[in-house]
Amino acid sequence: MSSDRGIVATGAFVPHLRLDGDEIEAAWGTSAPVERAAVPAADEDALTMAVAAGRDAIESSRFEASAVDHLAIATTTPPLEEEEFGPRAVAALGLEADSTLATATQSTVAGADALRSAARADGPALAVVADAPTGDPGEAGQRVGAGAAAFLFAADGAVVLSDAATRSRDAPGIRFRESGSETVDGLDITTYERETIRDLVSVAVDALDVPADAVTAVALHQPTADIPHRIAKALSYDAETVTRGTLVDEVGDAGAATPALGLLAAIDASEPSSHVVAGCFGSGASATALAFEVRASIQTGLSAALDAGVDVPYAQALRERGTIGETEVAGGGAHVSLPSWQRSIPQRYRLEAGQCPDCGAVAFPPEGACPDCHERVTFESVSLPRSGEIVAATVIGQGGAPPEFVPQQRRDGPFGVAIVEASAAGDSARFPVQLTDCDLDDVSVGDRVEARFRRIYSVEGVTRYGLKFAPE
Amino acid sequence: MTDAYIIGAGQSDFGSFPGESYRSLFDDAFDEAVASVDGDFDTDSIDEAFLGTLGVGGRQLGLSGPAVTEHLGLHGIPTTRVENACAASGYALRQAVMAVRSGMADVALAGGYEVMTDMSGDHTKWWLGVSGETEWERLSGTTFAGVYAQMASAYMREYGATTEDLSRVAVKNHANGAQNPHAQLGFECSLEDAMNAPDVAAPLNLYHCCPTTDGASAALVASEEVARELSDAPVRVAGAGAASGRVGLFQRESLTGIPASETAARRAYDEADIGPDDLDFAEVHDCFAIAELAAYEDLGFCDRGEAPRLLREGVTDPDGDLPVNTSGGLKSKGHPIGATGTGQAVEAFSQLRGEAHVQVDGANVGLTHNVGGSGGGVTVHVFERADGGAR
Repeated sequence: MSSDRGIVATGAFVPHLRLDGDEIEAAWGTSAPVERAAVPAADEDALTMAVAAGRDAIESSRFEASAVDHLAIATTTPPLEEEEFGPRAVAALGLEADSTLATATQSTVAGADALRSAARADGPALAVVADAPTGDPGEAGQRVGAGAAAFLFAADGAVVLSDAATRSRDAPGIRFRESGSETVDGLDITTYERETIRDLVSVAVDALDVPADAVTAVALHQPTADIPHRIAKALSYDAETVTRGTLVDEVGDAGAATPALGLLAAIDASEPSSHVVAGCFGSGASATALAFEVRASIQTGLSAALDAGVDVPYAQALRERGTIGETEVAGGGAHVSLPSWQRSIPQRYRLEAGQCPDCGAVAFPPEGACPDCHERVTFESVSLPRSGEIVAATVIGQGGAPPEFVPQQRRDGPFGVAIVEASAAGDSARFPVQLTDCDLDDVSVGDRVEARFRRIYSVEGVTRYGLKFAPE
Repeated sequence: MTDAYIIGAGQSDFGSFPGESYRSLFDDAFDEAVASVDGDFDTDSIDEAFLGTLGVGGRQLGLSGPAVTEHLGLHGIPTTRVENACAASGYALRQAVMAVRSGMADVALAGGYEVMTDMSGDHTKWWLGVSGETEWERLSGTTFAGVYAQMASAYMREYGATTEDLSRVAVKNHANGAQNPHAQLGFECSLEDAMNAPDVAAPLNLYHCCPTTDGASAALVASEEVARELSDAPVRVAGAGAASGRVGLFQRESLTGIPASETAARRAYDEADIGPDDLDFAEVHDCFAIAELAAYEDLGFCDRGEAPRLLREGVTDPDGDLPVNTSGGLKSKGHPIGATGTGQAVEAFSQLRGEAHVQVDGANVGLTHNVGGSGGGVTVHVFERADGGAR
């Protein structure tokens, strides 16, 4: 590992929907464990958030996606209990198929593993930590949030991983999810939990070779805002240094992603020549501490991700998360077989179109005869831009959705559907899209919209992902 | 080549009939068609049948055509089931006309049937989305209301049309359908009602959308020789135009009209050697209000953007220059997908024989316009009184 290898760009993603703590208090009559929580919409999950943050990091860097040849993803909430989701992220981000993949999961310490994996790799490597835990609405569900942070490692890093330390202990029951369950649980044995977390994290952090007085911010395990401060009592960092790396009151308990987002906040708050520390914890239990040397400042994109959001009422938050409103739908999904869907992934993830070599018309999808000259040609590949103009639009209300979209509509309400026109290679092409992350009253023909990677629908247990569009 | 004539046409009631099957509904249509033949018609003289259906619900998806003709006792005749979504029986009629014109059949049965109201809402919508472009358009989350609503959004943007313009289609067609005993929604509606109904897919509200319907329709197509023998007032198929288009709205050049309608109309007018000015009435495919507006323009009744004016000025009212959808149209009469095309021919047959419920004075030439999906397949037929109006 070159000593100069480090983080060259970062990305952040926080779901558009936010639940204010006041809503939680009104619903439960008790004080809310977090001030605010991000709510993943019905079409979001750890994969879509990972792709959004990963794309943000790549676009903030000098690298093309195809130059990134290692992808490390961490989450406690993979979309399926068994099946790789890394290949979907590779395809959605536009990485090459020979990229190496590393997945870290099963505990909130996973983010540290992904960061170390990308730091150790050769060549440009992306670490993405994305998480969207759910909990019983009366317990962990009161604090759960969501979000994703991405770190692109390459030579000449602005933020260099200088040391790492891990400690573990056979101490279960603090934060776990039983097989077959979707909700995180804990035995709530307060002293046992706090001591285990504090001991493991502080010992790991203490083991780092880092000048403590040069550390300007630390991002510690943070299921709630008080825990990092409790950990710090066993360390030499003051409250302000801890607060700089604590974000849980803005995004909620986003599992593995909260300390990763906290690390972005810590980097944001640090000048060149300072140091930042991350201290991740996972029940079971283990802690991994990471020390970073900040050599140059980085635009993390964190504040933009935090600012872009709209408040939703408590019941909507429950619906969006699928806590209520889940439904089985008669009639099944559209007859688009998995193989035919799979063949169209370059179009569905990356808007790959074709240009007619004879007349220059752009075809989307690039198949069949040319849409303009009607000749049977072999299209030359062109990519449509990820933004375009709405040329026709409607709102599909309750009762108007094809059955495969009924579960989403139950959770997310009416959705907009538009035909978008995008220009490429001197021509333009149109394609139908679903709209997301928008107030439907504010969207009309003539508006500009941009692509977002989202869940489209699930059928026979398989979720199909693709691009939806939101106002630019 | 002989000309083809309609010597009989009929339909079942259109509506929701839990007690009926697609076969029993077709019985009603067939009986009415046979009864409408002036002379003594022997059903054994039917040489061949072409029956349209989408197959909503997936009931007898294979071989439903033969199942119908065998049920009717038309034992052994060749029967072809025709599928072109909502234009299925427009195309079935075209096939029957071709069979007669070619001389392969002296009498051909054209018809269609659909049962749409005997399943759950989700199941119905599954089927209402199978004739849009499946891989992209439907998977953006649309059924047909959504696709036509997109068309409406583009049309309103381009030409400044309003909800009131869309609603006038419902008011006119309901006024006509209220006179049609076969109509599913045979009641009148006010402009206020039609403008203020709940949205189905904005900008289209409930009154801008046709219902789902059970029903069947049939037409007996015969050679000139048979027509002269059996009919006092046969109706000549003067022009049979048809055209295909890209199945998805997003794939087509125009978002505000249906190019295949334009092409099919031109072919039908050319064959009949007439123009839109020669028409006395038309039955157009008003599955959604925007579709009737687009049809006026695609069929050459007016210039682009002028359709709202035609409605406002009453040009397409029964007493206007070019009455449209005197049957009530799909909006009021109902839209049993596979039965709609020949259902329109039933109205044209009645008009040209002076037997319509909303009769257009001096009707000599009429047109029917049947659209599959949002414009992937279209038929346009021009019909004429064979007696030159001297019955």
